[in-house]
Amino acid sequence: MATDFWASSHNKRWIVDRATLKQARAEDLQYVHSPDHIDLLNIYFANLIGMLGKKLSLRQRVIATATVFFRRFYVKNLYCETDPFIVIAACCYVAAKAEESPVHIKNVVSESRLMFSQEGYGVKNFPSDNSKLAEMEFYLVSDLECDLVVFHPYRTLLTLCGRESACALDTEAGEVGVGIDSGPRYWGTGEGRLELEEGPLQTAWFIINDTYRSEICLLYPPHMIAIAAIYLTLVLNDKTREAIQAQGAPVPPPRRSSRTTSGSAHRKSAPAQQQDFVGFMAGLRVSLPTVAMIAQEILSLYTLWGRYSDTPPESGLGGNGAGEHSGGDDVVTPAFLTQLLLRMREARLADLAHPASGQPVAVNKRLERTQAAG
Amino acid sequence: MDAVERANADRQKKWVKDQKVGEGTYAVVYRGRELATGRKIAIKKIKVGQFKDGLDMSAVREVKYLRELHHPNVIELLDVFSSKTNLNLVLEFLDTDLEMIIKDRSLVFLPADIKSWMAMMFRGLEFCHRNFILHRDLKPNNLLIASDGQLKIADFGLARDAADPGYKMTCQVITRWYRPPELLFGCRYYSTAVDIWSVGCIFAELMLRTPYLPGESDMDQLKTIFRALGTPTEEEWPGHTKLPDYVSIGQFPRTPLRDLFTAATADTLNLLSKCIVYEPRKRISAKDALNHPYFFALPYPTHPSKLPKTIAQTTAAASRPLDEVDGNVDLNSGAGPGATAAGTAPPKKLKRKLSGHDTSRNIARKLDFTAA
Ligand SMILES: Nc1ncnc2c1ncn2[C@@H]1O[C@H](COP(=O)(O)OP(=O)(O)OP(=O)(O)O)[C@@H](O)[C@H]1O
Ligand SMILES: [Mg+2]
Repeated sequence: MATDFWASSHNKRWIVDRATLKQARAEDLQYVHSPDHIDLLNIYFANLIGMLGKKLSLRQRVIATATVFFRRFYVKNLYCETDPFIVIAACCYVAAKAEESPVHIKNVVSESRLMFSQEGYGVKNFPSDNSKLAEMEFYLVSDLECDLVVFHPYRTLLTLCGRESACALDTEAGEVGVGIDSGPRYWGTGEGRLELEEGPLQTAWFIINDTYRSEICLLYPPHMIAIAAIYLTLVLNDKTREAIQAQGAPVPPPRRSSRTTSGSAHRKSAPAQQQDFVGFMAGLRVSLPTVAMIAQEILSLYTLWGRYSDTPPESGLGGNGAGEHSGGDDVVTPAFLTQLLLRMREARLADLAHPASGQPVAVNKRLERTQAAG
Repeated sequence: MDAVERANADRQKKWVKDQKVGEGTYAVVYRGRELATGRKIAIKKIKVGQFKDGLDMSAVREVKYLRELHHPNVIELLDVFSSKTNLNLVLEFLDTDLEMIIKDRSLVFLPADIKSWMAMMFRGLEFCHRNFILHRDLKPNNLLIASDGQLKIADFGLARDAADPGYKMTCQVITRWYRPPELLFGCRYYSTAVDIWSVGCIFAELMLRTPYLPGESDMDQLKTIFRALGTPTEEEWPGHTKLPDYVSIGQFPRTPLRDLFTAATADTLNLLSKCIVYEPRKRISAKDALNHPYFFALPYPTHPSKLPKTIAQTTAAASRPLDEVDGNVDLNSGAGPGATAAGTAPPKKLKRKLSGHDTSRNIARKLDFTAA
């Protein structure tokens, strides 16, 4: 299913507007001190999917698909009423099947248990029973309405940069190209080509990886995200970076991906290239304001991400004190976010049991589908 | 009921399930109809088992592709909904399949009929291949026929995306009689050409009214192919002796197709021969096949509505034997005329209430606050 994005379920049913997203998170927002916490959870969960995916030896594309499944599921569900950790496992499990690299359900369960139970995450009681994951898979696929084909920006990136072949870069560089379908473009004139060196291409690739940590994949078509990634790669040469920094505006932090690229090569974009770039962008015949908006959103993701810390729990920060934070610019850790989620759940439960409005809340009606929470 | 459940229930309410009509490896198929129009449909209920090992890979492939593919010659997935612990696919109802038509000895096929079926087959396949999808299980049984005579490619349980060059795929696909020699030799890097071979076999079967290359085992399949088409030479199929499971089968001479297909025109045999070329890269593509002179020569393809029909098709209006009525699903009750009024609450049974006695559902999308 590589060619026709416009006719796809992705385009027809799963590009949502901001109002829909806002609505989807509205109730979760009542249980956090700062709206940022929801965005930080978005980063956290994407990181977990990435890590679980790597434990299961899933390709980058499969991890990306799993993350999109996760985002789609939470267009329809609440963080505070579900168990995102089982959902994460189910997303990896289904994405592996949907992308033709199935893993055994037992492996998913045991790797998830192993990973989530680590001190740094503090998720207790991940079910050890295969059937729990299988059941979650069913709810996931139902809520996805069986739409399992996901388009990703990687292919547009490679096509635009004239690297349709899979072996454009060495595998060390994060499997660039591996598992990405080649094929005719589904938009634009097919004329635009950009000569991108390996370094910048890698940077753009990594920026695309990073976008999955936000809800960008739900808001924009993949080719627009790819163009925004190229745009960011090229405008953020050292000079512009300095200028931006001087103004105190957000800039991408040093690479946090596990796949750190070496040295400064990937920031190299000669002025001449920028000149070409203007013409290149114009020739794409896409909405440049939209590209700029996506780029802005990526930049704010990086700013927020700067507050997310994978540092081990012994640093103490946020280890247990989920309650004390008022939601400023504090650094948050995975353990903090797990605690935050548990507290959201508890608060939700309390609210449903003792409604502030005094109206009887139909707990049973709202929560027809029960869960043993592990 | 939350918004998600309501949306699902709304979808479910549109369809009425009647009796069971068949069963496959991972699904039970029921006849049904669209409540609003009475249009006949099929409901394919995917067995989820008791949530032991998760969804069958074939089921995943089938829903994945059918959700995306919309073409007159590909079976149409009209809707999906879930009920209790099942996924239900709503498909257009198809009266019969090409295998039943081929086997129905009372039917006479004219060359124009065969041309019509071949054109529809290639159109559906070209659409799949254009979208980089390999079907990998083409055979008469998987080519279903609608009441208006349209042929529909069905059963995407083995389908997959054409992989990047250099990405290994399993060679254990395609029912043996329709399996191309490269797969029999264990080739793990293959292309859309595997489906073309199958189409060639079906083409021949339509003319012969019996399977063209019915091998009795995988080894015998190769022998059967070579007996019919001659042992391939290195020139005809460069590199085939290097394939993983290559074995020397013996030397068989090539006999002209004309000897077997005595009544066929030159165009017919030319297209057939291009579908069953040994070298996969030289096999004709679905797109080129559609432009082959065969389709432009006389006789022109029969209009689908005029194609030979089985008794089952002509009497399709009459009700079928009631094999089994599904007792556990809540659809029938929702079908009554009383439920049609807009805005009325869904029938009780439609509510997916999780009461204490339903022990099979101990986790859910949502957390169980009632148990806390
Ligand atoms: N769209 C349809 N319209 C009418 N009958 C159908 C339809 N789809 C399937 N059937 C009937 O249901 C039976 C089971 O179909 P299904 O596709 O589940 O399995 P199968 O292809 O026969 O077997 P397998 O799963 O082993 O490939 C078919 O043999 C056919 O008789
Ligand atoms: Mg079948």
